[in-house]
Amino acid sequence: MSRTSPVWFLLLALMSQPALAHKLKVFAQTEGDWIRGRAYFVGGAGAGGARVEVQDSEGRVLAELTPADDGSFAYRALAPVEHRLVARTGDGHGARWTIAGETLQGAFSPPTTPPAADPSDDSGLPPTRTQPPADIPAPQVPLDHDPVAPQTFDPALIGAIEQALARQTHPLAERLNALEERVRFQDVLGGIGYILGLTGLALWWRCRRAGERA
Amino acid sequence: MAHIPEGVLTAPVLIGGGLASVGLLAVALRRLDYDHLPRAAVLSAALFVSSLISVPLGPTSVHLLLNGFMGLLLGWTAVPAILVALALQAAFFGFGGPLVLGVNTLNMALPALVCAWVLAPALGRVRPARRVWIGFAAGFLGVMLTGGLVAATLALSGEPFRPAAQVLLLTYPPLALVEGLVTATIVGFLQRVAPELLSTGARSHV
Repeated sequence: MSRTSPVWFLLLALMSQPALAHKLKVFAQTEGDWIRGRAYFVGGAGAGGARVEVQDSEGRVLAELTPADDGSFAYRALAPVEHRLVARTGDGHGARWTIAGETLQGAFSPPTTPPAADPSDDSGLPPTRTQPPADIPAPQVPLDHDPVAPQTFDPALIGAIEQALARQTHPLAERLNALEERVRFQDVLGGIGYILGLTGLALWWRCRRAGERA
Repeated sequence: MAHIPEGVLTAPVLIGGGLASVGLLAVALRRLDYDHLPRAAVLSAALFVSSLISVPLGPTSVHLLLNGFMGLLLGWTAVPAILVALALQAAFFGFGGPLVLGVNTLNMALPALVCAWVLAPALGRVRPARRVWIGFAAGFLGVMLTGGLVAATLALSGEPFRPAAQVLLLTYPPLALVEGLVTATIVGFLQRVAPELLSTGARSHV
């Protein structure tokens, strides 16, 4: 009976599993020349009061962002170089995320003529479409044909594709990143098991020494 | 909060904190009361889990620390109990890390020891009905001292002190109040169901 209080507390803690945990994280992805991301505490709560510093690879501060209430922020990159995002809450919580320069390359490819394709062509397509559009001629190209060199594509088109792809995959990547850090039930049980095991070891050690002395 | 992540503190602070923690641990292990071990294990497990229930507050997120209560009940045994819980939190949850473990342990264990020295003897002196207040004081003091130590470690590492101090001033007093209330509730409960637990606690670390 004497130890029920902490035990109840423990049980309560176990039952509130999806509760917010406490580590700050920052995640970001490029969309064209924009870097969009979110600072949050593991478990989901946005870190609205955090400060996010944008640094280049040498640590020079390019900008300081204040995230919105849900922790999201956006920054327009000026050059396709490595960007480091450093989030801090001021009381010692901190997190980093690095955006490689290559992921911004598409948006900064040499300017050419705007995309020749009529924008109304694909604007009506639902984003989840799985069937390839009928007008893509690629399957009809004979195998011995010259391989299509990348530079024959319009860089603006590639940029647009990359941007659309980033928009689609951003929520997925963010979720994956958050899942990685989620505190799992077996972690909690494992930790408690370790504590019990260590206590058992200490008690065993004591019994052994008491036995030696006797 | 009490979990300062890796890469924030400078090497002298890390080494100093680590050495101080090792020193405390050596004293604690020498004075270890084996009869306290099961109790220490339960409280260590409670501390290990308590960081999972955290509440976003202002720009940061806070959770119960329980170190005042641990000091009150465990005395010196609180040091290994806190160390084990923090090490497991670093290993399983990624709060803190192996390098900052020494500093984090020091920030949690010193307030626990202060509570053990200052408040635990009072448990035996006051009337049993007043023990609840000592519980409240232990919870409050534990959090405020930890807050002060966290701010000091950040300042020693050259973090801009003002924003850190502002955040801590904003978030610690409410947390200390809540922690005080929780500790008082637990002490009151123990007083009703197992008062001998509190009085043995008071005797053993004088």
